[in-house]
Amino acid sequence: MYHDFNKKRLVVLFFTLMLMVINVAAQDNPIVLRFTLWIPVDSPRGELFAEIAEEFSAANAGVSIQYDYIPFADYTTTLPLQLSGSNPPDAGWLTENVAPTWVQSGILADLSASLLADEAYDFADLAPSAMELWRSGDPIFGVPFSTSPFLLIYNRDLFEAVGVDAPDVMIENGAYTWENLAVALKTIREEAGVAGLQSFNGGLYSGERVWHTVIPLVRAYGGDAWDADNTCTLNSPESVAGLQVFHDMIFTDRSIEAPGEVVDFYTGSAAVLMGQLSGVGPLAEASFDWDIAPLPDGAAGRASVVGQAAFVVFNNSPNRDTAIEFVKFLTNKENTLRIARYFPPIRVSVLETDVLLTANPTIAAKSMKAAVIDATLSGRVLPSHRNFPTIDLTSRAYWDQLWSPDADVQLVMDEMCAAIQPLLSK
Amino acid sequence: MSRALVFASREVRQNILVYLVLSVLAVPFVFPFVWMLGSSFKPAVEVFAYPPTIFPSTLQWENYARVFTLQPFAQQYFNSVYIAVIVTFGTVVFSALAGYAFARIGFVGRGLMFLLLLSALMMPEEVTIIPKFNFVQWARLDNTHWPLILFPIFGAQGVIATFMMRQHFLSIPQELEEAAMLDGLTRWGIFWQIALPLAKPILSAVTIITFLTTWNSFLEPLVYLKDVEMFTLPLALRGFADEFGQPIWEVQLAATTLSVLPILIFYVIAQRFVVESFASSGVKG
Amino acid sequence: MSAFTNAQHQQKKYYRTSRLTLKERDSLFGYLFVSPMLIGFILTVLVPLGMVFYYSFQTRNMLAQTWSYAGLDNYAKLLGGDPIFSKVLGNTLIFTAGLVPLNVILALVLAVLLNRLMHGSTLFRVLFFAPVVTSAAAWAIVWRFVLQGENGTLNSILGMAGIEGPNWLRDPNWAMFSVIFTRVLKNVGLNMIILLAALQSIPREYEEAAQVDGATVWGRFINITVPLLGPTLLLTTVLTVVGSLKVFDHIVLMTNGGPANSTMVLVNYVYFQAFKVFDTGYASALAMILFVLALGATVIQWQLRKRFIYNEV
Repeated sequence: MYHDFNKKRLVVLFFTLMLMVINVAAQDNPIVLRFTLWIPVDSPRGELFAEIAEEFSAANAGVSIQYDYIPFADYTTTLPLQLSGSNPPDAGWLTENVAPTWVQSGILADLSASLLADEAYDFADLAPSAMELWRSGDPIFGVPFSTSPFLLIYNRDLFEAVGVDAPDVMIENGAYTWENLAVALKTIREEAGVAGLQSFNGGLYSGERVWHTVIPLVRAYGGDAWDADNTCTLNSPESVAGLQVFHDMIFTDRSIEAPGEVVDFYTGSAAVLMGQLSGVGPLAEASFDWDIAPLPDGAAGRASVVGQAAFVVFNNSPNRDTAIEFVKFLTNKENTLRIARYFPPIRVSVLETDVLLTANPTIAAKSMKAAVIDATLSGRVLPSHRNFPTIDLTSRAYWDQLWSPDADVQLVMDEMCAAIQPLLSK
Repeated sequence: MSRALVFASREVRQNILVYLVLSVLAVPFVFPFVWMLGSSFKPAVEVFAYPPTIFPSTLQWENYARVFTLQPFAQQYFNSVYIAVIVTFGTVVFSALAGYAFARIGFVGRGLMFLLLLSALMMPEEVTIIPKFNFVQWARLDNTHWPLILFPIFGAQGVIATFMMRQHFLSIPQELEEAAMLDGLTRWGIFWQIALPLAKPILSAVTIITFLTTWNSFLEPLVYLKDVEMFTLPLALRGFADEFGQPIWEVQLAATTLSVLPILIFYVIAQRFVVESFASSGVKG
Repeated sequence: MSAFTNAQHQQKKYYRTSRLTLKERDSLFGYLFVSPMLIGFILTVLVPLGMVFYYSFQTRNMLAQTWSYAGLDNYAKLLGGDPIFSKVLGNTLIFTAGLVPLNVILALVLAVLLNRLMHGSTLFRVLFFAPVVTSAAAWAIVWRFVLQGENGTLNSILGMAGIEGPNWLRDPNWAMFSVIFTRVLKNVGLNMIILLAALQSIPREYEEAAQVDGATVWGRFINITVPLLGPTLLLTTVLTVVGSLKVFDHIVLMTNGGPANSTMVLVNYVYFQAFKVFDTGYASALAMILFVLALGATVIQWQLRKRFIYNEV
């Protein structure tokens, strides 16, 4: 009996110890969140994210963040492969152009439970228009951290050399329209011999940036690619009007780069570049005086177009909940304020501060306000659709028909709508 | 004597014509390479200057220095080199053996096997990359160099090499081998001592092509590798982009030039064997 | 008598059981030599090919990681419901039919010219090989500039001769030609060394004998050189056909498949469906078509060899 008593004690002791060990081990089990992004970690912006990650780790014991850099060019190709692999990422960045496809596929985790529950997070502060793409009913599949409006970067020296008003002057005079800009660019082409407008990243004719270049103009004239019911509206009178202006600028005025022409704004062979804020980077050592301006007005007024990058969490992540918490942390008010130094935010309260105005020392506050801040709040993203890749590919045949001197804009657009409508309706 | 002179001047005339034609033909081949080389020394604004220039205004050596600071380029370079060397060596060995067997050894099923092998020639990587990727994931070999070594040796590349070897061995006269067999040499002996030495040109050609293909392979490393330190050169070149995804051309071109140098040197050396003149082809009529 | 037959019998048994015939031993070497390549091939090519075939009967989405059986739906789609596919297929055939003869003939011409040189041939061998080692990106940048419609180098030169050149890369009638031409220039150096290697192993005695007999240069070329090059010409042709079906980077960098999708080839479309639309099932069906095309081309050429090539086993 004496033995039994001791034995029982030993057994109990043993199990208690085991439970303690297991408990401790479970708590110590480190969680490593894999987070993908397309900037190198040792860059000024990457370092900011590293700082934020460290603060999150400090606040959440046992959690650490591992940033994985995937070059932008291969980002949307490599990410799905990694997601179907043996060590998938938990969260990461995603661009708005693939949002509909990814949201539909079910690969993105629903963040709404966590984001809406916390009052301090202030979900209402996130501009609803910016969140449109990332919601499908009630669920929220991503939080944009960067909303980058399309704008024009122009070479002030070229405008002055030829004696026409530069965009900032036109804005002051209230005469900043596509038509006025076309006239100015035509003069530049004739007198200075350089191209007027360079298309978005030079990708107009190769098809990669055709929507980026054309849609702003089309919307400025009241048209659009397709409406909320997914009916193709490229052949509507307003759209055709805008496209006609564009077509004339290329072939009649020759104020936009011609098909196949190799131009480079950065070396002075074009007067204006259509792009985003990121296009300003290489201009730090530019040899000419430059500035940024919003997109010009069209017959229907100003139409701002924005691109976005969002934080998303992946559904098959083993650490999904922790990843969601991290994304919530990244997009709360304090951190949005810090990130806003580099990325135009979607939090209305942050947009109203001075952060963006003083963020880039090479850009005047006035220009920043006009070209970036105002446009961010009112901007809409490019037309998007589940089947966008196929729509894009099908449409190329018709865009290319448009880029010939005697193209009949209405006819080509009718054909394009006929071709893409079945894809839109699916 | 006069007849020899006439003969000589006709040869000389033809030779000059050949030189002329070749020089003119060579221009479109060479100037993109020269542009690449020149631009690798240019400052950023000059690379796409209009009108374009071939020669840089100054030699900006720091482009080359930045190549190593922006990425672990030396490590990536080493990766490309050792993978290419192993793949080339493995491919040459296995394809020479198989190619010789298909050409000269009669064994049951030879024709069928060869036809089967030929089907691999049509395999663009894009076709089989998904199942191969799934397999590599399952075997936990992703983010290692194993798939980059094994798949080329035995895949489409290896089969192409086998094909080339076979065609070459077919054109070696059989009398040599028959004589050796009568002398008692085993099949291995014939292969090692007779067929292989005669195959120097094709061995060099296969080496060059295999090295080159492996060196430039892009899709497979893209799909299998995750960490920057594991990258091979073609992937690394894509990484010379600024924070916004725009390529930093002057650095990328410098990196490209650096990655082109070994192949060029390799080629200059290897092609000598390809075109060594064969005074002793050993055949009489 | 019985002792003698016994001994003979034993001898016979001895030879048959413990020694393979010469033919059998040779065969053993044969199997040994081919087995590494063959086994590796089965694992790295046949099995994945089988998987692709299997996937082509499914609806798979790489992003959503779902799959379901779809029967012949993918094939029905590409045969009837996909206008892009028919365009792409046509482009692929044109591209290959244009590139292969141009490449092989140019390679032959260069190899023959280089073969004649006594001095300086190393220099030219390196020069013609330079494009092969130039990066596809650098090659495309330079040629896109040269082939510009208005300020391009080529049109400027043509302009001096009074010819107005077309917009080489933007005119749907010329884009494919431009893409083929620049691709040939980039890769012909490879075929050139292969053909040069073959030319070098043709014994000079044959040519010299013909020369003494009075044959012309062209006659010697057609009747001696080309037939002797038979197996190698077949090799380069087959490799070039198959290689042309795999060209991917070059087209993306030069024209991105345009204008009006006139330069997009099948392998681009497979990549598009697999990595942009994430429809792995359809991409697999397309890949099978690509495979069948290449297989067909090779089998045809392989069978033709019996008619044209004499010095083969």
